[in-house]
Amino acid sequence: MSAALVNVDDGDAMEPTLQSILDQRSLRWIFVGGKGGVGKTTTSCSLAIQLAKVRRSVLLISTDPAHNLSDAFSQKFGKEARLVDGFDNLSAMEIDPNSSLQDLLAGQADGDAGADMGGIGGMMQDLAFAIPGIDEAMSFAEVLKQVKSLSYETIIFDTAPTGHTLRFLQFPSVLEKALAKVSQLSTQYGPLLNGLLGANNALPNGQNLSEVMEKLETLRATISEVNAQFKDERLTTFVCVCIPEFLSLYETERMIQELANYGIDTHSIVVNQLLFPKPGSDCEQCTARRRMQKKYLDQIEELYDEFNVVKMPLLVEEVRGKERLERFSEMLVKPFVPPS
Amino acid sequence: MSSLLVVIFVIELVVQLVNTIGAATINNMLWRFYLSFPTPLARQFADQRKKQKEYLAVRHDLNATSSQDEFAKWARLRRQHDKLLDELEKKKSELEASRARFDRYLTAVRLISTRGAQWLLPMWYGRKPMFWLPYGWFPYYVEWFASFPRAPLGSVSIAVWQWACTGMLALVMDTVVGILGLVAASRQSNGAKQKQRQKQPVPAAQAGSGKVESKKDL
Repeated sequence: MSAALVNVDDGDAMEPTLQSILDQRSLRWIFVGGKGGVGKTTTSCSLAIQLAKVRRSVLLISTDPAHNLSDAFSQKFGKEARLVDGFDNLSAMEIDPNSSLQDLLAGQADGDAGADMGGIGGMMQDLAFAIPGIDEAMSFAEVLKQVKSLSYETIIFDTAPTGHTLRFLQFPSVLEKALAKVSQLSTQYGPLLNGLLGANNALPNGQNLSEVMEKLETLRATISEVNAQFKDERLTTFVCVCIPEFLSLYETERMIQELANYGIDTHSIVVNQLLFPKPGSDCEQCTARRRMQKKYLDQIEELYDEFNVVKMPLLVEEVRGKERLERFSEMLVKPFVPPS
Repeated sequence: MSSLLVVIFVIELVVQLVNTIGAATINNMLWRFYLSFPTPLARQFADQRKKQKEYLAVRHDLNATSSQDEFAKWARLRRQHDKLLDELEKKKSELEASRARFDRYLTAVRLISTRGAQWLLPMWYGRKPMFWLPYGWFPYYVEWFASFPRAPLGSVSIAVWQWACTGMLALVMDTVVGILGLVAASRQSNGAKQKQRQKQPVPAAQAGSGKVESKKDL
């Protein structure tokens, strides 16, 4: 087993670490995804810690509704980016794709209350809930806009379990198409609508058509920019996390294929929770499980020969808190050598 | 004008044949005939069939491979399967469009050469006699009818000739179809009788009731 873990010297073999991600300075967006419970949060935290060593500033965002960042770092995070204790260039934030839209709309209504377009929030809200999935996409776009203005060098997304993630990444294309249609309609029928609506473009419920359209247009611009960035392999990569078990592997394969369809680059797989029983250990379950893991690990190595396959051991302790995460994160860069 | 006589007859024959055989069947036959030539389209169809076969083979392999025991092999097959399926689907719509185009073209040609000709020729040659009736054999009103609408009196007009052809062909077709149907039906009923003689399973309900009755008897 240890033979596989030794750093291979020949050039064409992919090294079993995430060093390539650390070295790729142009990377701006890094997604960490996989099935639930395989250690996405631990991996993304560890990756963030390693990145923080070589980058000017790193932001870790959790889009998983079941937020675990606070647990992992034993520190409360919220919707605003906050420095992680013990680091001066690593921040974290947790966003809830659903509630952030509500907040966004509420905030907008408040902000615009003085102007005569107070109803725009309502209009946006109507629109948001008219198209399925648009609410999440809008809030995602809004978050991305915020994040871009914060000028972090690298942003790591700790995404929600697989299906959700893929839906999330699909949104920009879907929404862009829908919005392009809407704005096209509005330019075509704008004059007609203006004639109907009267001089100041007021919609029946006290909203203003051109304002809404302008809003949508900026949203569309943001989303299309983000979309282009996600499809650029110099800027974006996806780290797949899995455990050597059938279902997890199955999901990973599916995810890799779908990511390839969306044109999102992925070249790293973190295989988590590997068992390394001590030699001479008489734990029956451990050896049996080890055998099963070995089987899937061999399959992974055979199938994903163009990926950086990082093998992470299952520890006897929960990986929580800064020190433990740091220790764990070392193994993303230096391959773990099982005790012999 | 004997050639026009034949033309009209042939047109009516074609119309009757199309009506009896069915336009879709004829289209299918012609389509198969068209594909038997070495055109680029025929090659595309051959490719598609080959790919379909390949796809079925891959699917068979995929089903035969255990995803749990040979995940790598299974996943590779799956990728191949998905790719082939994608290609097939994409190609399918394209080929279907070409088929639809062919059908449309064929329908247009058929309509023009049958229905079009059926209307145009009588109009064009309305004044021309097809052939002359023997002088004095028929009374005036028969001659008048035979030359209807515009042919010279004493001749048979194109419209009447067309009408006569249609009537005769329809009768012949009906007879032929009827005879064929009868033959087919008798053959089928013969076969069915033989089958019935060969196998006569006992209906379950009957068997059950028989049993009950025998019990009652006891």
